[in-house]
Amino acid sequence: MDKQEQQQFFQDIIEQHQGILFKVARAYCPNEEDRQDLIQEMMIQIWQSIHKYNNQYKISTWLYRISLNVAISFYRKSSTRAKKYTGLNEQMVETPVEDKSENEQKLNLLEQFISELKEIDKALMILYLEDKSHTEIAEILGMSVSNAGTKIGRIKGKLKARFSQLIS
Amino acid sequence: MNELELKKLWQTTNDKLEGSFVINKKNTEDITRVKVHSILGSMKPIKIFTLLVGILWVGIGIIALSSIYLNSFSEANKFFLFSASIQVGLTAMALFIYLYQLITIYQVDITDPIIRTQEKLASLKMSTLWVTRILFLQLPVWTTFWWNESMLTDWSALQWVITLFFTVSFTFLALWLFFNIKYENRNKKWFQLIFNGKEWTPLMKSMELLEQVDDYKGQTPAPR
Repeated sequence: MDKQEQQQFFQDIIEQHQGILFKVARAYCPNEEDRQDLIQEMMIQIWQSIHKYNNQYKISTWLYRISLNVAISFYRKSSTRAKKYTGLNEQMVETPVEDKSENEQKLNLLEQFISELKEIDKALMILYLEDKSHTEIAEILGMSVSNAGTKIGRIKGKLKARFSQLIS
Repeated sequence: MNELELKKLWQTTNDKLEGSFVINKKNTEDITRVKVHSILGSMKPIKIFTLLVGILWVGIGIIALSSIYLNSFSEANKFFLFSASIQVGLTAMALFIYLYQLITIYQVDITDPIIRTQEKLASLKMSTLWVTRILFLQLPVWTTFWWNESMLTDWSALQWVITLFFTVSFTFLALWLFFNIKYENRNKKWFQLIFNGKEWTPLMKSMELLEQVDDYKGQTPAPR
């Protein structure tokens, strides 16, 4: 690919798959301002790695790898960001939920659950919710398919326990 | 709530929010034109600078000390000479760690699977612990470089007791810290006291991440 083709390819994949960037950024970075920076960093890394792309993997697998790697590194980099993050979660917990619809309550609980997960568990959870196959999850995370299955089972168990607490 | 409902809830909410999120074409064009500094890229200049300053410091130290060893060893203050040699030697070791870090930065591929990339990045950060250990190991020589031979004849017992107290304490402390500052002790109170400041937060987070990596690889934490 020459430079012009690379530029076109980059623009096409961003246009078609911007949802991946958005979802990952939203899960790792609830603060709007930081999220913009994170998405920009993801795009920079995608552009800088564009020459390495080969069709051995699906484009979504490749994009998930970059965006999750950037999000985890970005998240680790700043302690102030983590403080803001905690603040948001606490606020979310205290918000009265009586006037919210059942779906909103469930969504709040799901988002809170995701925000409490450790970095790699969070990546696994996003991929699980995005309905990725065990094979694709294993390719993105870099583990065996059976191990991916075990980890998904474990995280589903935690999620189930959290939701049954809500019901009880 | 069952699995399918949950996935649907997640997907519809994201689709709704995603609608208001559009990366405009101009932004993507700008990224392809502007030379930008990325997360890893920003680490390189400071490492290269530290490496160059370190090489200069060790280089000058080696030249100066070699000249003393070769030309005026008999007249030289041995305490200073040996203390300075140890200091320069330890700094040279720290330089090797910086070189390792620089090589690792160039090797990290952000398109690799998450566990592999994050393990490399966290190990890179963790190698900073080695620099700290070496830094502490230099402690005793700062208490001996000013000693001289006249002390052996002129000093009173009290002066020796005080001086040796500091040297022995610093030596003990340096060795103890050298052998104990390690990943396995990350949860000890004294460890968290030393690595308490804001500048150490990424290091502590890297340790947490390495625990997760070990968990995902189905391994017990490796000695680091």
